[in-house]
Amino acid sequence: MTAFGASLRYEFRMQVRKRSVWIVPALTLVLFVLIGGSLLRDLFDPGERPLDPRTAVAGLAVQLHALLSIGFGCLLADRLVRDDRLGVAPVLDATPASPAARLSGKYLGAAAATAVPIAVAYFGFAAAYAIDTGRPVAMAWATAAFGVVIVPGLLLVAAFALAVPMIMPAPLFRVLFVGYWLWGNLVPPETMPTLSRTLFHPLGGYPLDALFDFHGIDGEDTWAGPIAGATWNVLRPAPTPALAWLSIALLLTVSAAALAGGHALRVRRIR
Amino acid sequence: MTLWGYEARRTGWAAVLGPPLAVALGAAAALAHPEPSDTTIARILLGGLEMAVPLAAAVVCSSLIGRDPARELQLAAPTPYRVTLLRRMAVVVGWAAVVATLTAAALIVTGWWARWPQSHGALAGQLTWLAPTVGLSGLGFAAGAVLRSPAAAGAIVTTVWAVQQFFAGAVQQHLPGRLLYLFATTRGATPGDWTANRLTLLGVGAVLIAFALVLLGRRPERLISEEDE
Repeated sequence: MTAFGASLRYEFRMQVRKRSVWIVPALTLVLFVLIGGSLLRDLFDPGERPLDPRTAVAGLAVQLHALLSIGFGCLLADRLVRDDRLGVAPVLDATPASPAARLSGKYLGAAAATAVPIAVAYFGFAAAYAIDTGRPVAMAWATAAFGVVIVPGLLLVAAFALAVPMIMPAPLFRVLFVGYWLWGNLVPPETMPTLSRTLFHPLGGYPLDALFDFHGIDGEDTWAGPIAGATWNVLRPAPTPALAWLSIALLLTVSAAALAGGHALRVRRIR
Repeated sequence: MTLWGYEARRTGWAAVLGPPLAVALGAAAALAHPEPSDTTIARILLGGLEMAVPLAAAVVCSSLIGRDPARELQLAAPTPYRVTLLRRMAVVVGWAAVVATLTAAALIVTGWWARWPQSHGALAGQLTWLAPTVGLSGLGFAAGAVLRSPAAAGAIVTTVWAVQQFFAGAVQQHLPGRLLYLFATTRGATPGDWTANRLTLLGVGAVLIAFALVLLGRRPERLISEEDE
């Protein structure tokens, strides 16, 4: 087995068995249901829910992605620095396995494991909606939304969660990350300069608009394209499917760059 | 004094940098507003105190349990480990309080404090940052005691904070939600509930800290093993 495959498998199994990886999203969902004023309740109310299953599962993706990604990032923030703290990093560095392959395996394995509860929650709600409305096509849309909206965002969060704690304490990363998540995803662009709803939008504004024709649950929101009165509109061109794919590629490129930065930093430190 | 100095160093850089960075980012957000009016700037400045400072303090409090490399030694020392942890929490919250009080003083002197209509007097108004800081830090400390994992406890604190940001309206539709709402000064739905809300947050924070101390005292040996990793 290659070093990449072995570390992916090991990291996945270690992370997926952690209690907290399941407890944190479960508590988040309990809180989400308790608040009640959300889409979840509407999805199962025949009078309130969107008629189009595509809009319903895209809306569900936005809400779960916005909420569960915070715990996802915080849980992953100790993964890379932990090897140094526990003293296993020098042992692993002494093996012939390439550090880059081990890091990629750790990244994908730990991220996939931490994303399992998110996938369970998302597909669980989507399946309940599909059964409740008798529209199995909702599951196909949910799979597509998970792939092009949730996965790129989570890959970005995971890359920064692994790399940034190399240069600052993990708690500080968690504070700055949740601040960024709010600022770069949910702040209305007309209130302050923000990356929210630009091409660099981890919540996936461009794919949602151009690939899912999603304009909010009520059809009244702008998820991509220029916004009147907002700064940085140069980063918000009119949405097209090509720009949606470009936006996804941008998220993946920045993720790879963050990971490469973390790797370069580690290599320099162990020399 | 040496002991307090040592505990202050053990809390780490995040505890030192967090609150000033929180205030700085709040001020930057206020300055960056494209169509500034005095009310919105004052609101964002107060928001930095009410939202960012408590978050910074609480995430550090949630990371206190589970970071000592030699917990066996701590557990064998004459000072109970939970007292040591409480002392470190006092250092974190105390430093956040120093930064917040200085910022509040600066805002009061420059007049920005009074420009937000829902602000309160110089003395009672300090509850703007004190109540959410104690409430959220208590939650972080208790979550740390239950889960013994800084990652999980930090995730719970940041999630609770973010949920109250995302669903500000929905959270405050009923009285329990309004009483537990962290941002009642800058995003409060009912100004009449402010004092009750602040006292509830302080009370909840105190109860959660007490709960964590009881839990840490009952089975301290659990602290030796880290969370199931």
